[in-house]
Amino acid sequence: MAAKQKIWAGLGLVACLALPLIITDRYIQHLLVMSLIFVIFSSSWNLITGYSGQLNMGHAAFFGIGAYASALLALKLGVSPWIGMFLGGLLAAAAGFLLGIPALRLSGPYLAITTIGFAEILRLVAMNWVDLTRGSLGLYGIPPLPGFWGIRFTSELTFYYVALAAAAWALFCFRRITRSEFGLSLQAMREDEIGAESIGIGTNRYKLTVFTISAFFGGFAGALLAHYQRLISPDMLSLGETFQALTMTMIGGLGTLTGPVIGAVLLTFLSEGLRFVEDAVKMDVRLIIYGGLLIVTILFMRGGIMGLWERWRGRSAGDGEEA
Amino acid sequence: MAILETKHVTKNFGGLTALQDVSFALEKGEVMGLIGPNGAGKTTLINILSGAFHPSEGKVIYQGEDISRLKANLVNERGIARTFQVVRIFKRLTVLENVLTAMVDRGKDGPWRLVWGSFFRRACAFNQDRDACATADGLLASVGLLDYRDERAENLPYAMSKRLEIARALATRPKVLLLDEPSSGLNPAEQNEQIKIIRQINEQGISILIIEHVMKVIMDISHRLIVLHYGEKIAEGEPEAVYNDPLVVEAYLGGEGNA
Repeated sequence: MAAKQKIWAGLGLVACLALPLIITDRYIQHLLVMSLIFVIFSSSWNLITGYSGQLNMGHAAFFGIGAYASALLALKLGVSPWIGMFLGGLLAAAAGFLLGIPALRLSGPYLAITTIGFAEILRLVAMNWVDLTRGSLGLYGIPPLPGFWGIRFTSELTFYYVALAAAAWALFCFRRITRSEFGLSLQAMREDEIGAESIGIGTNRYKLTVFTISAFFGGFAGALLAHYQRLISPDMLSLGETFQALTMTMIGGLGTLTGPVIGAVLLTFLSEGLRFVEDAVKMDVRLIIYGGLLIVTILFMRGGIMGLWERWRGRSAGDGEEA
Repeated sequence: MAILETKHVTKNFGGLTALQDVSFALEKGEVMGLIGPNGAGKTTLINILSGAFHPSEGKVIYQGEDISRLKANLVNERGIARTFQVVRIFKRLTVLENVLTAMVDRGKDGPWRLVWGSFFRRACAFNQDRDACATADGLLASVGLLDYRDERAENLPYAMSKRLEIARALATRPKVLLLDEPSSGLNPAEQNEQIKIIRQINEQGISILIIEHVMKVIMDISHRLIVLHYGEKIAEGEPEAVYNDPLVVEAYLGGEGNA
């Protein structure tokens, strides 16, 4: 079983490495890069909400903090974006820790409202602190990742490999974390907080820790996007970005490692496909379709695509697992 | 020697006094039954002993240490484990995972050490640690759940989920076990099984405080009984003596005239 998994993982890696060499269309390559960035972003949201059960609706805050921090460090202080990306992540982590504090007392819809408020405040700051952020015009001319060995990270093709390495690293971390005793404790906390405390899990410290870790990767993904697009605006801090992560994760499978990966790739390509539909009907149908997909997921396939897959595998194995 | 005792514990919820000046001592190695009519404050007492609530007045002493103000997870760390009247198992985790979570050595420095540790060890998943799994299997076997090891906890029949909660509590290596109605909702055969399990736990030297409505169970396994009525302790002693105590009879049946 383990050997078979390793073969599949190896094949997957080779496929990922070869993909942009086979598909030379720059537009598709661009979509692949965006998919990878959203793999990191939605997976980090999944860690807070899917694994720990803390309904965080302000994840865009971390995305934006990472992006603005790294971009401003590069623009104003000349910090290398390679370092800036991690500093942006760390700053987001600090914000995550702060946001984790109200999460100790709130849950469910109350936590959702608080976290939305947090992101919204930051969006308004980014809109109005014109001297620093240029307001709704956004920051442009953000330096790209500096090249080395003659490689420049300004093309879709080269950036794809940076994003792939970043996503692989992030997923490796998520895998280690979720499969550790820490990850198990998070899931226990999600299932029953009082039960978790009764067996020695100090839920406060676990919540703060997971908020911090998840925010780091959220910020890291944002910084990656900033140096790829080289243009960011306060929209990155909007509720829409959080919903992007939410929809991707829910459709892929909440609380699974693979779910947000599948969801991110699927929805990135779907939303681009919908752009043609939008041109045809002259209407912003993207969000309507997202909403529809979410409702269908919640009503008919609770576990998302991964849930369907598990069920199908359970049935074909014939071990009589409940549907 | 008393391992766990309360001294004049009172608990108020707003204007309601759930417990009034309750003092008792759980002796090391004994099984003490806690009975009383509905609303007598039995579960409140267990909540206070386990750190879920803090007493309004009075103290909880565990092995000479005042634990009245400690949070539930710290109380558990000291060596007091509990089960719940309505089961609080981790439904979407497997039976094995439920027990493994409880076995984690959380140490003093908390979750960061666990996060850090997850990157620097050979077994790359919690369920690949052979020693931990062997211990967990042993616990599951002791409550007859080994066959359900890899089943999701939500798929367990009710009686089994009650036993899983006991196994999970034992996995924290407690010295005192607080059981809140372990055989409620079970059929007579399952109740007998439950008595056997509780007795075996006690034989390992774990002191037990047990709330129970099923008289057969409580009379069978308790060394001593205490009786709560409207938040006050009205009787304490040998099961037979308490059972025939006129005050207790009155509390349950509402006085001679109404019996």
